[in-house]
Amino acid sequence: MKKIVLGCLMAVGMAWSGAASAQSDYPTLSQLNQRLQRIGSNASAELKSLTKTPGGKDIWVLKVGTGDKDQKPAIAVVGGVEGFHVLSVELATRFAEDLISKHASALENTTFYIFPNMSPDAYEQYHASLKYERRGNAASVDHDRDGKAGENGYTDLNGDGYITWMRVEDPMGDYMLSKEDDRVLVKADRSKGEAGKYFVYKESKDDDQDGKFAEDLKEGIAFNKSLTYKFPVFQPLAGDIPVSQPESRAMLDYLFDQWNIFAFVTFSPANNLSSPLKYNAGEARKRVVTSILEKDQAINAMVSGIYNETVSQKAYQQTNQGTDGDFFQWAYFHFARLSYSTPAYWTPEYKGKSNPEATYLAWADSLGWKDVFVPWKEISHPDFPGKKVEVGGIKPFVMHNPPFEKVEKIAEEHTDFILKLAEMQPKLQVQNLKIESLGNGLTRVSLDLFNNSPLPTHSEMGERSRWLRKIRVDMNAPADRVISGEKIQLIDSIDAFGKSSLSWIIRGKGDVSIKAGAPHVGFINATFKL
Amino acid sequence: MKQIKTKNLILALAMSALGFGQIESQAQEKFFRAVGTPHQPKVETAWNRYYTYEGLVDVMQKIAKAHPKLAKIEAIGKSYEGRDIMTLTITDFESGKDTDKPAMWIDGNIHSNEIQGAEFALYTAWYLTEMHGSNEFIQQLLKDKTFYITPTINPDARNDFFLKPNTQNTPRSGVMKLDNDGDGLAGEDEMDDLDGDGHITMMIRKSPTGRYIKDPLDPRRLVAVGPDQVGEYEMLGQEGTDLDGDGRINDDDVGYYDPNRDWGWNWQPDYIQRGALRYPFTLPENRSVMEFVMKHPNIAGAQSYHNYGGMILRGPGAEEDVNTYNREDIRIYDAIAKKGEEMMPGYRYLTVYKDLYSVFGGELDWFYGNRGIFTYSNELMISYLYFHQNAGRGNQEEQLKVDQLLTFGDAFVDWKSYEHPQFGEIEIGGFKKTFGRAHPGFLMEQDAHRNSAFTIYHAYHTPKLSVMDVKEEDLGGGLKAITATIFNERMMPTHSSQDLKYNIERPDYVSISGAKVVAGFVVEDEDFKRYKEQKHSPEKIAVENIPGMSAVKVRWIVSSGSNYSISVDSAKGGKASWKK
Repeated sequence: MKKIVLGCLMAVGMAWSGAASAQSDYPTLSQLNQRLQRIGSNASAELKSLTKTPGGKDIWVLKVGTGDKDQKPAIAVVGGVEGFHVLSVELATRFAEDLISKHASALENTTFYIFPNMSPDAYEQYHASLKYERRGNAASVDHDRDGKAGENGYTDLNGDGYITWMRVEDPMGDYMLSKEDDRVLVKADRSKGEAGKYFVYKESKDDDQDGKFAEDLKEGIAFNKSLTYKFPVFQPLAGDIPVSQPESRAMLDYLFDQWNIFAFVTFSPANNLSSPLKYNAGEARKRVVTSILEKDQAINAMVSGIYNETVSQKAYQQTNQGTDGDFFQWAYFHFARLSYSTPAYWTPEYKGKSNPEATYLAWADSLGWKDVFVPWKEISHPDFPGKKVEVGGIKPFVMHNPPFEKVEKIAEEHTDFILKLAEMQPKLQVQNLKIESLGNGLTRVSLDLFNNSPLPTHSEMGERSRWLRKIRVDMNAPADRVISGEKIQLIDSIDAFGKSSLSWIIRGKGDVSIKAGAPHVGFINATFKL
Repeated sequence: MKQIKTKNLILALAMSALGFGQIESQAQEKFFRAVGTPHQPKVETAWNRYYTYEGLVDVMQKIAKAHPKLAKIEAIGKSYEGRDIMTLTITDFESGKDTDKPAMWIDGNIHSNEIQGAEFALYTAWYLTEMHGSNEFIQQLLKDKTFYITPTINPDARNDFFLKPNTQNTPRSGVMKLDNDGDGLAGEDEMDDLDGDGHITMMIRKSPTGRYIKDPLDPRRLVAVGPDQVGEYEMLGQEGTDLDGDGRINDDDVGYYDPNRDWGWNWQPDYIQRGALRYPFTLPENRSVMEFVMKHPNIAGAQSYHNYGGMILRGPGAEEDVNTYNREDIRIYDAIAKKGEEMMPGYRYLTVYKDLYSVFGGELDWFYGNRGIFTYSNELMISYLYFHQNAGRGNQEEQLKVDQLLTFGDAFVDWKSYEHPQFGEIEIGGFKKTFGRAHPGFLMEQDAHRNSAFTIYHAYHTPKLSVMDVKEEDLGGGLKAITATIFNERMMPTHSSQDLKYNIERPDYVSISGAKVVAGFVVEDEDFKRYKEQKHSPEKIAVENIPGMSAVKVRWIVSSGSNYSISVDSAKGGKASWKK
């Protein structure tokens, strides 16, 4: 009997670890769903579908924690904000798996919300028979605003199952071969007198005969281009109004009901972890704030330091610190939480190369990665009769997502980083407690409410937002016993390793207690014998 | 000359004979027709009282039932508490579908305490349908145009305003409860109607250190004593109690948020724009309107009713949007609103961001900025209507005088003593919630009519297109050129310049059928033969805009066809056609 139990346990254990290691490529949506269900069956995790996308896919959230999850500070981990960034989905999912199987002790003090995949409609393109880097969901959208939706997407001209590029030889063209690598095309620098040789387009036909190529894609709204911060109104993939899609609305509605989140870690192309966002006094002072606030920049710098110590990959050409309508900037500028984003993987520096594609190809060659480039090959193109048109270029996905075998190490390092961030969370303590008798049955209770954390309870932005609660201190004593001091008081913020001094005068004998905190800071209780 | 006179005389006699007939029948019914007002309307109603949500819907349903060829009623969505958002579509359905005609959107009551917009919008629906039988102008108007009228886009809080205790300023929002005092609880310290009269007024208390006395000439009025005098009363603020024990009265009522900061043009969050919610169109009421407008690209003009102060407002709401409103469009805004100032004496034409306050996420900015619709917000009710002089907003002296001379004490709750749980003996009194911002009954119908006339003028100047002056020219070799002029005989273009800047709406299409088209052009200069060719589907020429009070020309070269027809199809300009 004992043996059987042991055997079952081992089988479960093997199935668990086997799930990730047996995989040789990024998971399909159904494989992903199975893994999420498995995580959700754990006692400390709740798996919930927030809504269905226009493509009928679930938007999942995992809430992982123990005890009263809503009363502990929380970190939200978000993947799939870009559909082509399949790595991000894997990293968020592995974080959830590893959190439960290896780091369950972190759940004592912190709750985690994991949104593994915000763009499942677009994610699917990675496994589709026609592969391309997709951002939009399955909504029908008129990207070129001519009155007809989705009428000029891509065409697989060479029939290889990938959408790459096409170059049209033309003396009026504005592209030329890169001097670093003749497989790569770069814009001719007319200011240096360079002549172009090619026009370059995404692999497509002019389906709607308007003279433009792939300008009205057969995909919908991009999650990471349609949030409210700097919403790029009327631009392709963004649409007419922000937060127009069921997945973005459902996620935001959910987040606005979770008062305990103090920080976000988003896996997306933007990077404010390798180096922090830059403070700009002018932009920070305007009515519409578009610079990180000064104190929050200092926090970002500290967190970046920890990231760079934890993650082995050295930053190279990490210049994207946010794009209009994206998620990670929304989480800071409009949701007022600490917000950090990293692509988690990028091409490292390669000697003698500076063009990103040339750098990538040189690095891929050096590692013997064969399957990353489609050699330029002439095809016949109906829109360019009599012209030489070639299709080729770097394959989709490969520049943003490493070969799958590299994921494990990336995931471990990023999980470590998130856990370090969790350890920094605000932590209230009572210090310098004094209980002094004033005679005649009166007692003065005074104390310092101390935040024993390198993070303030409220970032500078957080102090401005009504969507973060203030610290509330309740003196639990009958109103007629509280001679001075407030029964309920609210504190806007307590600095990193800072304090707020409180005092009351209480009449009579018998215990009194205080409760202090906020959902994103955690709560403490203390009882005083009078 | 003499002949003409005789003719006129005969005509006049004939008309008066007809008139006599009418007078006879009317005399029997004790009424005589007043100019400009529906006579013996099918829907009998009164315009000197306010309607709850149910009252509004009742009148709307009666209008739809009494005028099935002119009015349809539908629910365009649900409110937060589940009430239907009801919209009337008014047009002459026999002359064409509502969606094929340029349309005017009218709504009221987005701020729930700003009540009379609903009655004014409803009056427009009633007036158009009841006048249709006897007025040629209205008949032609409803042949050409559609009106979408939604008297209240905030039905929950409209009823809250009437049926629950409130001041004239509450609730401005809907009835969703938020945590306004930041203590983690929502709506736990609402206003309390201590004297049970439905109005939240003011509290005063006798105090040896008070700085006020009651005016011996008018005990309704509290006056401050001089710096060297001892007073008798202190002010305690709004009628209410401290329900949550935090030492503040009425500090967590329903609402706080502002439905007019919830629209998706240059939306900003609460810390930048106080009153904003989670993201644009968080509120189901606004979302219903947005979705309706998106599905009705024929809406070319819009009016939203607020109160108060007698203003015809245009955007931009926010200074940051100054460049959104460009010169061509402002010319049209100006022309319509200047007429409005004449039609509504006392009302002034103003721009929100510079004459009022700079605000993000407002309804009128979304209508114009996001949809390219020419939109005004009227702030209804103005002091001018009382004594034909403008004493400004909230002028207490004037209001006391109005209540003395015109409403005979009906607007004021006299001070009465009350035993307050926290303050002890106090007095409660002050102006009623239905006075100040709201019209007194006797001023409502006139102002409703004037505002309706303004929206009718606005709707009249949405585009009206016709195909005219079709010319043929023989080019030899079996080819001929056909040139057609598309005329817009009203002030508004088919595409505002905001629309053109962002390609908000599709182009207008001018199509020819019944001819074999070889080539098609937009005519840039007819005299100098400058034509812009459209290579793809030349039989359906895409015209980016047909400006107001002017024309565009298109030209085809055809190889056959003598019985062709030409049609124009514009989202905001409607449809027109011409047949040889």
